[in-house]
Amino acid sequence: MIAATGPHIDVEALSPLLALTGGGLVVLLVGLLRPRVVREVLVPLLALASLAAALGLAIWQWDADEEIIAGALRVDTLALAFTAFVIVAAAITVLLSWRAVAPREAAHGEYYAMLLVSAAGMSVLVQAQNLVSLFIGFELLSVPLYVLCASEMRRSSSLEAGLKYLIIGSVGSATLLYGLALIYGATGRTDFAAIADALNSVGGPVSDPLFLTGLALSVVGLAFKVSVAPFHQWTPDAYEGAPTPVTAFMATATKVAALGVIIRFFDVALINAQPDWAPALAALATITIVVGNVGAIGQTSVKRLLAWSSVAQAGYMLAGIVVGTQHGIEAVAFYLAAYLVMNMAAFAVVVARARETGLGDAIEALEGIGQSKPLLAWPMTIAMLGLAGIPGTAGFIGKFFLIDGAVDGDYAWLGIVIVVGSAVSLVYYLKVVAAMWMRPAPRSVPVLAGGAVDDPPADAPAGPRAAGGEVTLVAVGCAAGPVVFGVLPGPLFDIARDAAAAMSHLF
Amino acid sequence: MLRSYLPALVFLAIGGILALVFTYANTLLGPTPRKTVKATYEPYESGLPSEVKRTFRFGISFYMIAMLFLLFDVEVIFLFPVAVKLREFGTFAMYEAITFIGLLAVAFVYVWRRGALSWR
Amino acid sequence: MPLSILIWLPAAVGLVAALLPRALGPRVAALGTLGALGIAIGLIADYDPSSGLQHVTDETWIAELGIHYKLGLDGLNLFLVALTTLGFAAAAVAANFRTWERSRLFYFHLLLGETAVLGAFLAQDLALFVAFFDLMLIPFYFLAGQWGDGENRVAAVTKLVVYTFVGSLLMLAAAIATGVMSAGDGQEISFALSDLRERTLGEGTQQWLFLLFAVAFLVKMPAFPLHGWMPDGYRAMPLEVLAVFSGVLSKVGAYGFLRIVLPTFPDASAHFQELMLILAVVSILYGSAMAFTTTNARLVVGYSSVAQLGFITLGIFALNDQGAQGALLQMINHGLVVVPLFLIIGLLARRAGSEDLRDMGGIAFRAPVLATLFLIVALATLAMPGSSNFIGEFLILLGVFESKMAIAFVASIGIALAAVYGLRLFIRAMHNRVGASVESREIALRDAVVLVPLVAVILFFAVYPQLALSRGEDSVVSTIAPAVEVTR
Repeated sequence: MIAATGPHIDVEALSPLLALTGGGLVVLLVGLLRPRVVREVLVPLLALASLAAALGLAIWQWDADEEIIAGALRVDTLALAFTAFVIVAAAITVLLSWRAVAPREAAHGEYYAMLLVSAAGMSVLVQAQNLVSLFIGFELLSVPLYVLCASEMRRSSSLEAGLKYLIIGSVGSATLLYGLALIYGATGRTDFAAIADALNSVGGPVSDPLFLTGLALSVVGLAFKVSVAPFHQWTPDAYEGAPTPVTAFMATATKVAALGVIIRFFDVALINAQPDWAPALAALATITIVVGNVGAIGQTSVKRLLAWSSVAQAGYMLAGIVVGTQHGIEAVAFYLAAYLVMNMAAFAVVVARARETGLGDAIEALEGIGQSKPLLAWPMTIAMLGLAGIPGTAGFIGKFFLIDGAVDGDYAWLGIVIVVGSAVSLVYYLKVVAAMWMRPAPRSVPVLAGGAVDDPPADAPAGPRAAGGEVTLVAVGCAAGPVVFGVLPGPLFDIARDAAAAMSHLF
Repeated sequence: MLRSYLPALVFLAIGGILALVFTYANTLLGPTPRKTVKATYEPYESGLPSEVKRTFRFGISFYMIAMLFLLFDVEVIFLFPVAVKLREFGTFAMYEAITFIGLLAVAFVYVWRRGALSWR
Repeated sequence: MPLSILIWLPAAVGLVAALLPRALGPRVAALGTLGALGIAIGLIADYDPSSGLQHVTDETWIAELGIHYKLGLDGLNLFLVALTTLGFAAAAVAANFRTWERSRLFYFHLLLGETAVLGAFLAQDLALFVAFFDLMLIPFYFLAGQWGDGENRVAAVTKLVVYTFVGSLLMLAAAIATGVMSAGDGQEISFALSDLRERTLGEGTQQWLFLLFAVAFLVKMPAFPLHGWMPDGYRAMPLEVLAVFSGVLSKVGAYGFLRIVLPTFPDASAHFQELMLILAVVSILYGSAMAFTTTNARLVVGYSSVAQLGFITLGIFALNDQGAQGALLQMINHGLVVVPLFLIIGLLARRAGSEDLRDMGGIAFRAPVLATLFLIVALATLAMPGSSNFIGEFLILLGVFESKMAIAFVASIGIALAAVYGLRLFIRAMHNRVGASVESREIALRDAVVLVPLVAVILFFAVYPQLALSRGEDSVVSTIAPAVEVTR
């Protein structure tokens, strides 16, 4: 009745997760110390250190392929690759937050701790092998993010973003939970492999209305998180209002985690029902691509623009999951990595210009920087062209890969949708590029000669100040990625292939 | 299959009926005051008239401490089964409990150092 | 190997020039384009007409997707490569005589553009071709947007890029579909053109793929219903850039039909032959009509290009050897005349103070050398007998007469119309009453340095078109053979 011993806990396989959560606790406690240097320097450094440790441990585990904690989590290359992506995104976010307003207002310890815990939640999510751990990861990811969104407490739009995200996110969570419960009710199992088996039995639950309702509800719940249309309405508001580093984290890491769990959920647990959900998911992808791209046209805030573009990009990546092949998952993994660095480069430039100009995230803040700030203009240019899928960037190869996967899986029309969407996306990506290179700098913007960061009192509005070297470093470093991998995609392909190899049951 | 939910339904019905019955039984069977004064409808009929108005607001510190108390209290409940059945569970459960208490300690230190426990 | 050097030399020089001091960068960039021209001339001298694809480089680029870095030179692209290097060298040298803001960036983009165009011409792998084809546009976006003319240039050039990209991306999807669908059971996916030629697709598949490719190429040329970006786009570009854009880049579209569409989708090519021919004829008539009604000098040339590319399309879709040979020759000819034509318009505009034909007139008065050079170019444009353009158009019409007689009749009206707009351009600018603010001036030495060699090449081809025809013949015939086969 009662197991005499608990489940075997494989500490090795859990180590990346432990590094993240442990790091979160340490950062939280160290953040309580009084000296300013501890809060402003030591805390982010500790956060970076624990992220580095987690990354190192994830790489150390690379060849693992096992279920841990009684089948709650699965550590395999897919999980580790996606965990690594999340960790990289979190590390970049730490760098972008270094001199940001948000950690100062929300207290440094809490800010970075929540970042780490959210990353841990994402790690759980991509490892989830069970409906329960799926939901735990989902909440662990979301709750800190709600708070982080509202962490610039003196700016009402940040609070608004946090509240909106909280309410809509909770609706999404509730829907997901209800869906998971129904799936459990229909199949009687919570772990993915068993659900797959239950579906496989002839006359199984595929036609069961209980199961189908559960499936639909969980799709909706997950769609909220990846901001798949028509469940994307919160995205522009939340992205715009949240502090920019947090937006960057949400736009990249959340996408990684949510797509990771969608891969597991659909391509492992529900793979035997693929003919049933694929057309629906393909339709969702199409709507998402159309809505995202159309919505982005006409935006004047770069963050809103990137929010809409991220909606469209999620649509592209869904196409790789729709086909339910290893090839498709490889393409998704590849595209995610490229998408992550390109978006990070773009957000880094937004952070830098918002600090330098005081114009916030408006496109005007970018005007004329082709001449005055080439180290910011080039990364933004590469990011925009890369997201649009111009050859010479990893974005092109990623899109090639996705279309290849779609055509290969008999969804050629979805490939065409992707290219039409990309063509439309040029309209707004080029608007940003044109602002940087083809318009003169607005005269009202004070030009800073650089130098030490002046530290305004916490309640002062964010006036012009130097961007900080680490932001430029992030921008340049992240922009180098798409170019290097656009010409020599080999290493990224290896990661993508390894990640997809975990799904060896697929074609 | 839905039949397995039947007991739950019955349980729900009985519970609801019982609650209603007791509420109305009180009005029917209970003593009715011969004359009513204002104090009759106060929560405590005896003693000093209550100063508390409907618009009264508790201090935020009260909520803070109440919520923290609830959290820690609920968390301690989880320790109870382990304590009762520690022998059967074995050392694994003890390590788990220690980890759990450790985490609670971290939370407690955090709450304390952040000043959430000081009444302001 | 020589092909890789040729492709990457401009980009490398552009990068170096961008890092050099301001005074030195432009000079180095121009030298780089001349170096590429030198390599191209060397390749022509070295070319062996009888041995098919030469200097082949075949490396695996992206193994996972079956994409190869495969380059090769044959009679089909030999002269187009030479034309590219010539056009870019002329543009870079001409640009050197002007001062540009942020000049090093200008040359970087120009030379990156040259690399992309050369790559598109030399690629022997469909995916590689698509990559270069898409990449080609970006430097020109920056060139037009940053150094272009006019208030609305950003909007105009965005329209250009989006237009072209819709086509390019549809082609991307089609290219991937071609590679994936043509791979039979147990075959590796391959995008190498030589493989695609042998792996045949079903006719229905061919048809939709054909249409996607055709949209991409017709937008690029531009051809009649898809030319909407052209007037604004042309007005927005600096003339030196426009010279290569119109002279060289438009040929990539026509080249794509010959290199990719006809061999890979032979059944669909035959199926859509009439549609394409009609589009070509409409382009000819529409382009000609617009060319002699518009008054902006560069749009006269722009619309004449629509007409000329209509002729080239006509030749390609005659689906026989004469037509294709004529089309190839005409591509070279058109490039050769358009590059100097735009440079001359620049000279005229500087003398008249505007690019409007109504403001010009009487410029020949004190500029006999300029007038002579212009006359030669103008006569070549209108395919005067004795010019190489005449031979090209003659071959094209011969080809079409053989396949579709009625269309050939209509198309030959286009030749007469060409004479009208060609002469109108020349007479309005050089003769007539002297314009209000026209200052007739002889051509300066530095402008002559660019123009005279270009005109010399035109004259050389007028005397000896055989140079291109004989070297191209075998390759053209073998490339279009599958499509010719179907029509028989």
